[in-house]
Amino acid sequence: MTRPEDALAHAHAEAARKRAAGGYAKPGVAALDESIVSTRPSIELLSRWAVIDGEPELLYSTRRAGAPVTALKRLIVRLLRQYLVEVEARQTRFNIALLASVQDLERRTGALERAADAGATAPATPAGPGEPPGGRRSDFPA
Amino acid sequence: MTAVHQAVAGAGPYDAVSEQVRAWRRLLAADGFAGGDHAVQIDPRLRTGFRPLAELEPEDGDLLVIRYSAWSPALTALLDLPNPVLLVYHNITPAEYLWNHNAGLAVQCAIGRIQLPAFARRARLAIADSDFNAAELRAAGAAEARVVPILFEPGRLAARGRPPAGIGPLVLVVGRLVPNKRHDRVLDAFAAYQRACQPDARLLLAGEPLNPVYRRLVEGLARSSGARNVEIAGGLAQPELNAAYAEADVLLTLSEHEGFCIPLLEAFHFGVPVVAAPKGAMPGIAADAALWTDDDPAVTAELLDLAVRDSELRAELSRRGRARLDRFGAETTTAAVREAIALALG
Repeated sequence: MTRPEDALAHAHAEAARKRAAGGYAKPGVAALDESIVSTRPSIELLSRWAVIDGEPELLYSTRRAGAPVTALKRLIVRLLRQYLVEVEARQTRFNIALLASVQDLERRTGALERAADAGATAPATPAGPGEPPGGRRSDFPA
Repeated sequence: MTAVHQAVAGAGPYDAVSEQVRAWRRLLAADGFAGGDHAVQIDPRLRTGFRPLAELEPEDGDLLVIRYSAWSPALTALLDLPNPVLLVYHNITPAEYLWNHNAGLAVQCAIGRIQLPAFARRARLAIADSDFNAAELRAAGAAEARVVPILFEPGRLAARGRPPAGIGPLVLVVGRLVPNKRHDRVLDAFAAYQRACQPDARLLLAGEPLNPVYRRLVEGLARSSGARNVEIAGGLAQPELNAAYAEADVLLTLSEHEGFCIPLLEAFHFGVPVVAAPKGAMPGIAADAALWTDDDPAVTAELLDLAVRDSELRAELSRRGRARLDRFGAETTTAAVREAIALALG
């Protein structure tokens, strides 16, 4: 009998033996790894999330024999499509604008940090929408 | 007599937290406590047992038991009531697993973790069902975080439904079809097991999917893995789940985040060997009664083979499983629940 404490070592040895003989040739793919956002979402990922696009497939019913309910929900969404597209567009507009501001801030703080690291002042950047003349907030060091 | 009300963010038919609400209610009723069980969202398949949280109107002195496994603004509103609060922390899935698959739930989970300290501070008593969860509670600022294990009721495991179809060793996976359970790794390991050890092996995935889109994703992963005899059963009624345990040769869980993992205890009850990843609360629950694996699908495949074929090893794991189960016996856990309620009532 293999003791439970020895099972992992036994499994490693057996897997290695079979691999040496050509077994276990197909590696595992752990396909979900890519979808797990383990760190702060990247700007690229945020850009994808920013565009709101409600998929009708996400509408469903958990009731028993819920197919007619699902169909009804999807029909309602279809009938309201004109309105929903407009709402999605307005939310997306806000998201994109906010994301652009975040990107701009990231760029500017990055420049400031680099300048601070180098012991020099940051170069001036052109003014963006809603910014004071000179392109920098008054609480940023000049 | 003082009433004890329980509140959760969501209640469903195959949900471990909802099951604990029902188990506590039976105990509370037996002890003469009135009160109701409330949820912000109630799955329409639940016809009885839960009422909308909006209908909760506790009287002065009533105890509010907040079961915290997801956040909702309505749960936060309970903190403003003058009633004593007993916080039961069941853990919250890290949002990182959910952002790409269910944005709404991810938001609930992300805010849930941010808000946990507020709940922990407000509670007269904060309890958790595992050491793992208690550590998170303490990190969130709870002055004291007691471990009160779940109420495990073997009686519900008696009824037998129809067993899974087919022959060949049955690898059973029990748990919601959600990203943190890593069914992708399960499929990798099972495919390897089938190719290298048991070509006629069967895999049964029992658990409610996150949503239909995620279910289709897992179905796609099953096809691309090359594994055969894979059944994605969805949520099983208790008798069918019991029949699956009775038929199973091994329980496999490669979950990366577990606040407790009740299927471990269920497997021990049925004498089914367990192969698991040593993640979250699982090592604390199963200890030496499981075979612990790593991320290599070939190693997991070999452990499955051992667990299925080595009868002496199976017997030893079964013996150890029963010993672990004794720690969650009704006498111990009901006493712990009663003590927690008494302390929270002051």
